Amino acid sequence: MRLAAAVAVLALAALPAAAQEFGFMVRQTEVKAEPFADAAAAGTLPERAKVQIVKRQGAWMQVKGDGAAGWVRMLAVRTESGSAGGAGSSGLASIFSFGRGGSSGTAVATGVRGLDKEQIRNATPNPNELARMKGYAASRADAERFGASAPRLASQRVDYVASASAPAAGGGGAGGGQASPLGGN
Amino acid sequence: MTPRQILGLMAAAALAAVAAGANAQFRIPGIDVNRALDTVKNVVTVVNEPDEKQEREIGAEWAAILVGAAPLWANPGAQRYVNVVGRWVALHSERPDLDWQFGILDSDNVNAFATPGGYIFVTKGLVVRMRSEAELAGVLGHEIAHVVRKHHLKAMQTGALANIGGNVLTEVVGRRSGVPAELRSQLVNAGKQMFMRGLDKDDEYEADRMGVVLAARAGYDPYGLPAVLQTIAAMGAQSSELALLFETHPPPGARLDALERVMSPPLDRYATQPQVAERFVRSISGQ
Repeated sequence: MRLAAAVAVLALAALPAAAQEFGFMVRQTEVKAEPFADAAAAGTLPERAKVQIVKRQGAWMQVKGDGAAGWVRMLAVRTESGSAGGAGSSGLASIFSFGRGGSSGTAVATGVRGLDKEQIRNATPNPNELARMKGYAASRADAERFGASAPRLASQRVDYVASASAPAAGGGGAGGGQASPLGGN
Repeated sequence: MTPRQILGLMAAAALAAVAAGANAQFRIPGIDVNRALDTVKNVVTVVNEPDEKQEREIGAEWAAILVGAAPLWANPGAQRYVNVVGRWVALHSERPDLDWQFGILDSDNVNAFATPGGYIFVTKGLVVRMRSEAELAGVLGHEIAHVVRKHHLKAMQTGALANIGGNVLTEVVGRRSGVPAELRSQLVNAGKQMFMRGLDKDDEYEADRMGVVLAARAGYDPYGLPAVLQTIAAMGAQSSELALLFETHPPPGARLDALERVMSPPLDRYATQPQVAERFVRSISGQ
């Protein structure tokens, strides 16, 4: 693990500037000057307009398109096939690059490892590996300490949201739609 | 007296009440016959359900298949990290005190899985494509929702997998304790079919709607799950790492459309909650 960590540090240091990400608008969209619903308008992008994704911020994406630049709702954008979306922009994918070569950088010609249909069909259950997983488990106390440590995560009461055609999850059965800041007791 | 025995007594009492009502041929003041019948139906359903211990035994058999197909990623720091993040999100669900366990599978595939009783898996291929803890929380929230709503058991009982898994499930539940050896291979086969065919599509949409809310309850920006779905959409259906995910889930574009319809405005006020990108990258990369 030490070696892997060292390699990871080197790989992070060597990361190129975040690769460019592109997308397109799923509908005609008013572009905002700031990432707020009531921010000033900064132009309009038509349906299918190509945009470059500059930045993400919660529900918003900063984009540059033909004739308009500013903030749009992230769900009004679909990221493009072949753009950096596939590699992610955290840089982790290039640290732990796979298929094309491990962190050693040597090319390894392997297919996708692990969880294809065939591999699941042919899998032999491994209860010992499952027992090993328990060793990493976190208790309720561990999790509460984690939530309270910096950056602090503030528990919220939030109701489940209903779909247009279905009632909110948790109407009965195991769920219960009650929004609890910390469930149970 | 066990909960099961209490339920049995309740069922018997309710049946007696219904029988009394039917024989007497007139309404008994204070007893709503239809409601009593509904109670009987509900109680019978509950009695046929696995209890929590059985749920976990079934879930463990199925989880062992996944770690049999791809071992845990040899990155202890990352494994511990997904467990605290996952448990923190699960604490905000309706089943906070299940024995939740989370694991990163050493697979280049992009996928995530849950099995009954609180076993949750994400693949390394998916985790390294995420940007933040909020994205991880959204994906874990989706899987936690499958467990909370018992979607796998439902699929075996009445859904797409009833032909394959219904009987073995009834048998296992009938045994009351442990999974007998002669049923184990049937149960494993049912689990493999479940992973290969996927859950009911409506349950995937429900898990998306619940996942974003669980992330918001846990203090994260709820737009992490849609961000991951955008990453998956951008990889494209032809990507070999995504073959199984695309076969077993609605297309990511349709899932994004469905989330868009429900997230705004109710969840917008939580979109300024933290994404926690820095801790995520540090914890996964082992720095």
